[in-house]
Amino acid sequence: MILCTKIMEKPIITFARWGNYTIAFKTIFDQLGLEVIPPEPTNSATIAEGAKIAPEMYCFPLKTTLGNVLPGLRKGANTVFMVQNIGGSCRQRYYGAIQKKVLEENGHRINFLDFRATPKDIYKTIKKISGASFWQIIKAARFFFKELHLIEKIERKAQFCRPREIKKGATSQILTESLSRLGELKEEKDFPKLRKEILKSFSEIEIEKDKKIPRVAVVGEIYTVCDPTINFDLESKLGKEGIEVHREMDITYHLKKLIFPWKDWTIQRKINPYLRSTVGGHGRDAIYEMLHYVKEGFDGIIHLLPFGCMPEVTVRPILEKIHLESGIPFLSLSLDEQVAEAGINTRLEAFVDVVRNHYNSKQ
Amino acid sequence: MTIGIPQALIYWKRPLFWESFFENLGFKFLLSPKTNKEIVEAGVRVADPENCFSAKVFFGHLLWLDRKVDWIFVPRLKTNAEKLEYCPKFFALPDLSKMLVKTPILTETFDEKKEPFGKTLEKLGRKLGKEKKEVEEAREEAFLKEKEAKKEKREKFFKKIKEQGTKITLVSHPYNFYDDYVDLRIEEKLKKLGAETIFIEEVPINETSNPRPEIQNEDYPKFHWEFGKEWMEKIDTVLGYNITGAIEISSFQCGCDAVLKEFVEKKFKQNKIPFLYLLIDEQTGEAGLQTRLEAFIDTLH
Repeated sequence: MILCTKIMEKPIITFARWGNYTIAFKTIFDQLGLEVIPPEPTNSATIAEGAKIAPEMYCFPLKTTLGNVLPGLRKGANTVFMVQNIGGSCRQRYYGAIQKKVLEENGHRINFLDFRATPKDIYKTIKKISGASFWQIIKAARFFFKELHLIEKIERKAQFCRPREIKKGATSQILTESLSRLGELKEEKDFPKLRKEILKSFSEIEIEKDKKIPRVAVVGEIYTVCDPTINFDLESKLGKEGIEVHREMDITYHLKKLIFPWKDWTIQRKINPYLRSTVGGHGRDAIYEMLHYVKEGFDGIIHLLPFGCMPEVTVRPILEKIHLESGIPFLSLSLDEQVAEAGINTRLEAFVDVVRNHYNSKQ
Repeated sequence: MTIGIPQALIYWKRPLFWESFFENLGFKFLLSPKTNKEIVEAGVRVADPENCFSAKVFFGHLLWLDRKVDWIFVPRLKTNAEKLEYCPKFFALPDLSKMLVKTPILTETFDEKKEPFGKTLEKLGRKLGKEKKEVEEAREEAFLKEKEAKKEKREKFFKKIKEQGTKITLVSHPYNFYDDYVDLRIEEKLKKLGAETIFIEEVPINETSNPRPEIQNEDYPKFHWEFGKEWMEKIDTVLGYNITGAIEISSFQCGCDAVLKEFVEKKFKQNKIPFLYLLIDEQTGEAGLQTRLEAFIDTLH
């Protein structure tokens, strides 16, 4: 009897938030006709809630993602999605196991879907929960990639426009508007029109196109780098100070690496003088990206990591060595539930001064 | 020619093996001394502040050996014979060591997913200018020595088990509990309080049953770390004996322990065995530890 009710029970899904990409993840479930309670935006309340029940020594993303799903569970969700094994050898592999344990200990009766980040496993999990046909899943995936691509595109456009805009704050406003419009989109057939409109609104931002400005790159752990609510909207803060922000790390980059392993081989070849092995997560990528940006003549590197992140902490001495060798300004920020925005602001301000000096001395 | 071996972290994974291996090959070796205050302070100064305490201690040992020897041996341990991974922080140790010391680093990648252990040793021997045969002989002898030590450990364990009185299992990494400075002589302290300590490493895995169960135990996920699997199996074994309490020690910022602690704790709690979790770092005071141990022992009676 219990088994019957369990099968009959309609799955109501909630999942962890991941920056602006959350919109794209939500569409997959929407397209397959599943009921979703989207995760609430990350703020100090959700972080505190997650940190309260999470293991103390665990890394920061576990605490935030746990905090993300809790409001959804209170609203009646009974299924949680969590990907495992994004980063090879690091602790992310056990997020699902730990979160399931913690949630069960706190009295939530849930169906925890813990899947590996391989196309086959993702397909199998989705198929099991939704019962959709192969074509439906392919269609949903296609829509997901379209949206994801657009989100990443407008993020990059915003990074370019923000320091050059004439009317201050225009870019951030358009970015927020576009994302919320994209979030409201229901049908795939309306997507091309919306895409056109969004891109048009970006091209209408008045900018000083030829303005020469310093460029700063953000490297580090993928979750902290990609999620503006976790890194205190670092990109727009730097943009407002007149600095162009670059980052290579996003979901497409990660997926490409997953599908085409030779990217890893190139990375390993490039970083051989510094590190001759993988260290799990995106440790190698941070070194590779930093070397790349130094070569391109950037004016600063910001390294973001959750406090105690195993791969990033391991490679940080190497990044510092590159910084000393090349003289490029370098700032490493560890984020956790106790970091306050004011502290980050002060350090960013000081860093911006260093970057400007470095830029001016090059001229 | 002298080869220096830092007596920390990876050394404790195979304590006797490397010493006798290099000795049999005809090299002199210098072991860094037991951890002391100066070594820890030196390590803390150079290491990344967020790195784990054990790694900081390792860098201290490395700095002590600097310029005292011709080579410092820092192997890159990746996977063991069971094809399970070591801690990811071990992967980068040779590279990080190279940045810290002037003495050349002797290293080889031990990745048994790709290459058997013996073959890697041959490569290492070639670096030192030794023939294949010599390396093989040295290896066999070192293995024998290791085997003997294992046998001794086993006997010690059964002797301890047979004794009456309080018996406490100490769950931790070998580099924590074999290092007297790092674990603040917890064995001695417990002895004074009248309790016998059983290191989790001493516990023999149940030899009669299938050593590698095919069906995954529901209590814990399938760990890809060698110590994860080892600990859980050994805890299962030790629970079969009469254990009074359990203590887990982990070094501050040990990422792997953050995962394992959850499942170790669950296991002991399910079996109604009192469990104490201790964190150690460079600032841990002996008085604080003493108080907690006393309180813990009191709860056992």
